[in-house]
Amino acid sequence: MTEFVTSTEGQRATLTVSGDVDIATVDQLLGEARACLEGGADVCEIDLSGVTFMDSSGLGALVRIRNLAHDQSKQVLLTNIPARVSRLLEVTGLTDVFVSGSDR
Amino acid sequence: MSPGEPHRGRAGPRRPTTVAALLAIVCLLLTGVATWAAARVDENTENRLLDVQTKQAATVLSTAIMLIQEPLSTALTVQKLSGPDGNATSFVNLMSAYVGKDKLFESASLWFRKDGELTRLAEVGGTSSAPPSDSTLTYLRQAFQSKSYTVRRVTAGSRSSIGYAMADPATGFVVYADRSIPADRRAPVDRDSAFAQLHYAIYLGPKASLPALSTTDVAPSTLPLRGTTSRMTVPFGDTVLTLVTSPRTHLGASLSRRLPVLLLLGGLLLTAIASSAGYQLTRRRQAVEAMYGQQRELSERLQRALLPRSNPAIPNMDIAAEYVAGAHGVDIGGDWYSIIGLEGDRFGFVVGDVSGRGIDAVATMARARFTIRAYLVDGHSPAEVLARCSRQFDIREDGHLTTAVVGVGNWRTGEVTISNAGHPAPLVLGSSGAHFVETHPGWPLGIGATTYESTSITMAPGATLFCFTDGLVERRGEDIDTGMRRLATTARGAAATSTEALVLGTVDGLRTEDASDDVAVLAMRWCGER
Repeated sequence: MTEFVTSTEGQRATLTVSGDVDIATVDQLLGEARACLEGGADVCEIDLSGVTFMDSSGLGALVRIRNLAHDQSKQVLLTNIPARVSRLLEVTGLTDVFVSGSDR
Repeated sequence: MSPGEPHRGRAGPRRPTTVAALLAIVCLLLTGVATWAAARVDENTENRLLDVQTKQAATVLSTAIMLIQEPLSTALTVQKLSGPDGNATSFVNLMSAYVGKDKLFESASLWFRKDGELTRLAEVGGTSSAPPSDSTLTYLRQAFQSKSYTVRRVTAGSRSSIGYAMADPATGFVVYADRSIPADRRAPVDRDSAFAQLHYAIYLGPKASLPALSTTDVAPSTLPLRGTTSRMTVPFGDTVLTLVTSPRTHLGASLSRRLPVLLLLGGLLLTAIASSAGYQLTRRRQAVEAMYGQQRELSERLQRALLPRSNPAIPNMDIAAEYVAGAHGVDIGGDWYSIIGLEGDRFGFVVGDVSGRGIDAVATMARARFTIRAYLVDGHSPAEVLARCSRQFDIREDGHLTTAVVGVGNWRTGEVTISNAGHPAPLVLGSSGAHFVETHPGWPLGIGATTYESTSITMAPGATLFCFTDGLVERRGEDIDTGMRRLATTARGAAATSTEALVLGTVDGLRTEDASDDVAVLAMRWCGER
């Protein structure tokens, strides 16, 4: 089961994702993230602490969310990235795509 | 399975005619069983009802017999009271009520036995002048032997009658009476009598044979009664009457009789409906499956068209490649590989992966494949090829990320330059073991314009460069490094074999049966300058 929880605090919206992020759930992730970005917050934080699996479709979705945010002059932060996902970002050369956008 | 092979050997759906025939057989069987059962129930009911009616008829017959016996025994008792010498006036008076046309008897007579001689004392209805026949006298003598009255059949020409005799050995009186049987033995029954619903045949004696026939309501030539019959015997003096009956009409409820026919007709109707519906549904399903099959075939043909039919021969290089589709039939993936012969001593190679599945993933794959190929043929370095591509792919437009390893090698020197757009790094298999090439991956294609680093390696003679897509190493519930290590171990074990065996060995060894992601694998062995 993949779950999405959204909370907003000031200008920062947080989307907490848990479960598998793969071809079966990317559309849901994209939809949730779009709602997050359209909510008026400047920063969309995606908390990946509960992610158990991510494939290239999931990475693609994260990139699309990041590009969507860029188009709206907003920021996407990936937080609490599990080691597996972090390694995946590294393998796919995506680490700087997201980390450069964060304020960590 | 290679992409060149369409799905074969799949059990096809049943043909509509087969389905219709099967349904028809099943429905007909059910109809037959139901009809048979209903008919049996009806038959049992009929037999039971016939037995009941026959019993009633037999009771009526017994009553009729008592009516015959009653005047005889009364006459005997009256005569006994009159004494042996008493006149026969009371006998004549009594029996006159019973003798005559349409009455119980045709004639009646009173006899007296004295010293073994029989004398006729009186007669009613008969002709007194006629001397008694010997057979009659013998019969009357026999009557003294019987405890009840005796019955005999007398046939004189076409005239047939039944005679009754009752004797009192104590007083020596014998009463005799007879009644004629209609020549055709037919006695129609009253509508409201116990016989109203029956055909019947009454036989004198225990045998139901034509000579013994007493009365019937049908033409004697049509006897014995056929179909459902019931048989019963009724005591009749010193003999019995045998009553055989068959129903005139259906005795039970009319629904019970019609039920088998109704079931049969209903069953046949349902059979026709079911088999025609089965035929239509199966045909429709076949049509849908054919459409789905066409769609799948279309996808496969597209992918087949996009993968190299054969790899160009590169001098000094031993190359094998394989594409394995994912388990999801129509959801074809976007993995690919390319080998390209370039100018001079060089050759190019690509292994790539478009995220997602379906026709549009394949379309993106085709675009990436031919764009990269074109830039390589134009002589650009791998890093330049990827940088140029990064400006042409945008995930926001096509919805897909593309990762790829692009390399250019020299088949004389074994030198290889590799650039990586977010793809798992290739593996080098040599005499010293297996290690992944450090490729410094840049962004996958689709994120935006970017630049890429290059990595150069020189392969030892006999070393193999092994490129693959993540479908080979990715498994749910474990990190990618675990899969990479497993690949290194498996590939090292198969490194001594041919490149074909290496490719097949790693694919077979690492892919699970239900793996949904597709896989592309490319193995290139530099054999050294020959």
